[in-house]
Amino acid sequence: MGVPYIPVRGLAGTDVFRRRDDMIMATNPFDSDEQHVVALAQNPDVAILHGLRADRDGNALLRKHGEDVMIAQASRRVIVTAEEIVDRVTADDEGGQFISAINVTAVVHAPNGAHPTAVPGLYDRDDAHIREYIEASQSDEAFRAYLEKYVIGKTEDEYQAMVRGGALVAGDGGGD
Amino acid sequence: MTEPVNTEELLAILMSREVRDWETSACGAVSMIPAAAMLLAEATHAPQAEIIILGSEQLSRDLGKDIHFLSQRGGLDLFFHSAVQFDAEGNFNLHVIGDANAPDMRLPGGYGSGLMSYTAGRILFFRTEHTKRTFVEKVDFISGAGKTPASIRRPQEPFLIFTPMAVLEFNRGTGAYSIRSVHEGFTAEQVQDNTGFSLGSLENIPTTPPPTEEEVRVLRTEVRDRMVETGTYPEWAQTVLQPA
Repeated sequence: MGVPYIPVRGLAGTDVFRRRDDMIMATNPFDSDEQHVVALAQNPDVAILHGLRADRDGNALLRKHGEDVMIAQASRRVIVTAEEIVDRVTADDEGGQFISAINVTAVVHAPNGAHPTAVPGLYDRDDAHIREYIEASQSDEAFRAYLEKYVIGKTEDEYQAMVRGGALVAGDGGGD
Repeated sequence: MTEPVNTEELLAILMSREVRDWETSACGAVSMIPAAAMLLAEATHAPQAEIIILGSEQLSRDLGKDIHFLSQRGGLDLFFHSAVQFDAEGNFNLHVIGDANAPDMRLPGGYGSGLMSYTAGRILFFRTEHTKRTFVEKVDFISGAGKTPASIRRPQEPFLIFTPMAVLEFNRGTGAYSIRSVHEGFTAEQVQDNTGFSLGSLENIPTTPPPTEEEVRVLRTEVRDRMVETGTYPEWAQTVLQPA
């Protein structure tokens, strides 16, 4: 979006407002009788977004719902991980939100890449894994053990083999 | 004398009476009682009410941030709102219990409550208990402020709070609470005794019109069926909307 800040109606007098240094009260420049909260723009250095498919230029189809496109438009670099790499993704493609290559820095072929969350139509949420993650997050020690089991020193293939129980799932399309 | 109703049914019936034809009413996700209230209104006195139930598979209108923009531009007439605490200043808490930096309990209020409660025309708060742990002198965390300076645009009517004992009203202009009505079986003194701040005068408080046979019947039949059919908290509807 590239704007420096955005006005918000609401939040005045709340502890949400009080606890943040990226929001201030401001006078409406078009109406000096009105005050409102102004929130500083959030500009992530890197956004990593998972999509249904992408092409080599960076055009991609992101999940249907949610604010992914807006996040991409606000970020300095955008990496799209995609279930499938195809020849061409256009704004006419159905099934998700289109994001133009001008917003995308890099594309990665990552089948089952949303795990342990779901990609509607392709695979479900892995509730057992999410429970394991939540339990691990209760202490630094347990979380370190989780990371050592699944992440540190592991390749994507090794991770996927563990969480899929070694079996490949449908949707592993596209060549890379 | 109509059949006894449970707390959820009572709140749904009383709040349904606030839903009006030709207005847009909405509730957020995880809002079973408001969903039942709006569907009951639609099935009885307000067939032309526009209703939005974010937690429903079929009645959510596929809104995300749209509902916040609708409310900001003044297009949302009524919004249902829960909270765990209310205080003497008209503040409510839907964030944390205890110290915000090391909370005893974290609640899901961080998203829309600080915006919707400032911009929707009428706010119906509800709580399934009326106790001094809910109605406190000072909330642990202000998710929404009761009083704000005149320079903050809030074209809103007084807040209403529906509980199992009464309907409370908070006037943001005077900063004072009053009891709008007391439900059958309770007195204004009992309501005050279970509230951690002053509710003003306890004289001449009207009795809340109790649920009618028709309201109870429609809630337990048409509304229940519609919730199941439309994927609107079907398990909740099947277990809660029925005789004890």
